[in-house]
Amino acid sequence: MNFKRHGAALGIVAAGALLLAGCGGDPTPPGGSANSASSSSTPVDCGGKNPLSAEGSSAQKGAIDLFAQAYGQKCAGAQVNYNASGSGNGVKQFNGGQVDFGGSDSALSADKGEVSAAAERCKGNPAWNLPMVFGPIAIAYKLDGVSNLVLNGETTAKIFNGSIKKWNDPAIKALNSGANLPDKDIQVVFRSDESGTTDNFQKYLAAASNGAWTQGAGKSFHGGVGNGAEKSNGVASAVQAVDGGITYVEWSYAKNISVAKLDNGSGAVELTSDSVGKAIDNAKVKGEGNDLVLDLDALYASNTPGAYPLILATYEIVCSKGYEPDTAKAVKAFLTVAATDGQARLADKGYAPLPKAFQDKLLTAIQAIA
Amino acid sequence: MTTATLDVNQPATPPAFQHLSTGRRVKNGIATALVWLAFLVAVIPLVWVLVSVLARGAHMVANADWWQQSLGGLLGDDVGGGVYHAIYGSLVQSLMCAVIAVPIGLLVAIYLVEYGRGRLAKATTFMVDILSGVPSIVAALFIYAMWITTLGFNRSGFAVSLALVLLMLPVVVRSSEDMLRLVPDELREASYALGIPKWKTIVKIVIPTALSGILTGIMLALARVMGETAPVLVLVGYSGYINYDLFSGEMASLPLLMNSERVSNPSPIGTDRIWGAALTLVIIIALFNLAATLLSRLVAPKKK
Repeated sequence: MNFKRHGAALGIVAAGALLLAGCGGDPTPPGGSANSASSSSTPVDCGGKNPLSAEGSSAQKGAIDLFAQAYGQKCAGAQVNYNASGSGNGVKQFNGGQVDFGGSDSALSADKGEVSAAAERCKGNPAWNLPMVFGPIAIAYKLDGVSNLVLNGETTAKIFNGSIKKWNDPAIKALNSGANLPDKDIQVVFRSDESGTTDNFQKYLAAASNGAWTQGAGKSFHGGVGNGAEKSNGVASAVQAVDGGITYVEWSYAKNISVAKLDNGSGAVELTSDSVGKAIDNAKVKGEGNDLVLDLDALYASNTPGAYPLILATYEIVCSKGYEPDTAKAVKAFLTVAATDGQARLADKGYAPLPKAFQDKLLTAIQAIA
Repeated sequence: MTTATLDVNQPATPPAFQHLSTGRRVKNGIATALVWLAFLVAVIPLVWVLVSVLARGAHMVANADWWQQSLGGLLGDDVGGGVYHAIYGSLVQSLMCAVIAVPIGLLVAIYLVEYGRGRLAKATTFMVDILSGVPSIVAALFIYAMWITTLGFNRSGFAVSLALVLLMLPVVVRSSEDMLRLVPDELREASYALGIPKWKTIVKIVIPTALSGILTGIMLALARVMGETAPVLVLVGYSGYINYDLFSGEMASLPLLMNSERVSNPSPIGTDRIWGAALTLVIIIALFNLAATLLSRLVAPKKK
């Protein structure tokens, strides 16, 4: 008697489980077919480990999502799981062998022992830093009646450390001869949480301000003026709320705000995919061989005409050798798709597509992974 | 005559306390008010949470795709997709946890009630008490240190199940122990009097009598561990795709999905997904509680 009842109860549970296990599926991404039509002809050797796992910087999460989508279209059914838990975690999990590649806002640091730990994880082979994702940082402002603001490194540094307090300061006037600058206070808005964006922005100020920025770099803002707001969303909405506001934010968040042009000594440069591409093209690689660590200080301080130097570079950290053959195949396939087909819609998401010359450098490095 | 019947209805002596003094009435009023106030204070946040989860998550949940698709291959601001992968992960991880924790917990409870005497029983009770006080993050880090760092396994859904076992075990032991103690000794004695051995008495008499309560306890424990967040954050990576393999690879679960969208998806679509997943979790746990009630009715011992 009792057994019958228990049987019935168990049956219900089992039936529910079966029902659930039977009817799930992955969705087809919108606009999938339109993309594959325009895809490049770069051959990709699909296959290998599926799904790939990766972890790291949240600054490149949007780009990786696009890459993963393109990867799934190029290699049917191929998947990448990217956990955006921060650069520090990405490096840690990569070095611990938990993920196949890491994502980080900065290259592996020898001082912190990351380089040797990564070499150990790769069975004695060096790990490579591949700068796959570039996100320009916009200097966004709101000033009624002014839509073509031009700034340079020195003026920007002085605005963000409080040396320049008014919009009609002579230093700003000198850069904007035609503009009618009002006698208003400058309201600086900065990121209150720790952020790679803040770190790179301050590094830029230190490199490009002729010594006007003495506060140093770091993930928290050291300027000492203005009001903080949390996350990129927060600073973007805060700067729109007040006339006279100015802030720094990833380009994707500044689509509806005025963005200042940067004059790095050879004319004002607007923030566009082209001007960012030009800067990336001129970036000096300070790593050896296929380890493409960028010399950002040189990039920030450069005065190439038409190049927008204020960019955030994020790396994929991979083993040069020492992967399982399956894993190596999948990592190469994914990174190849990322560097080619994956570039298509990057600009919509606020990232800069890779210029041709740099793309070739990356592809050479990717092909050399074994 | 009539007066006589009335007299019958009256008490022979007037009651000792006919009038409540104002002081007592005031005190009574204050106490009643306080109890009601405490009740309201407890209920307001509960209702508030339910209402806001319902209001913001309902439009996501009221879509067949939500229950049948994953988020694999979708961008942060793509509309559509669902949380099938996370529901599957949550259920499978907690069911695996139950498969490990329930037999152990039940046997420990039987030992404590039927056999345990002396030091070992006391030590066991003490350990169960300590285990029930362990925060979930500590359980998660312990499993990370043991399973992943020391034994060298990869992060997986199964590691989450192991951490959940540590959280579920004391709850199962406690509730089963209470239920077994409620079984009247007369039943056991009657069984012994018929010459039935002790183990058979336990299997055939004690457990069936207590079964309904034990099952309720297990279902409630299951519902509780299903919402745990710390183990999934530490012990498994998030995947937007469906992963049927509990033992390898990234695997989503509802709390992990909510955290992942919160951390890395600033678009309004991400917020929608979080509320939808929250409502889904509430619904699933409510279903588990409902199932617990039904199950306990179904297997309750007959009263006649």
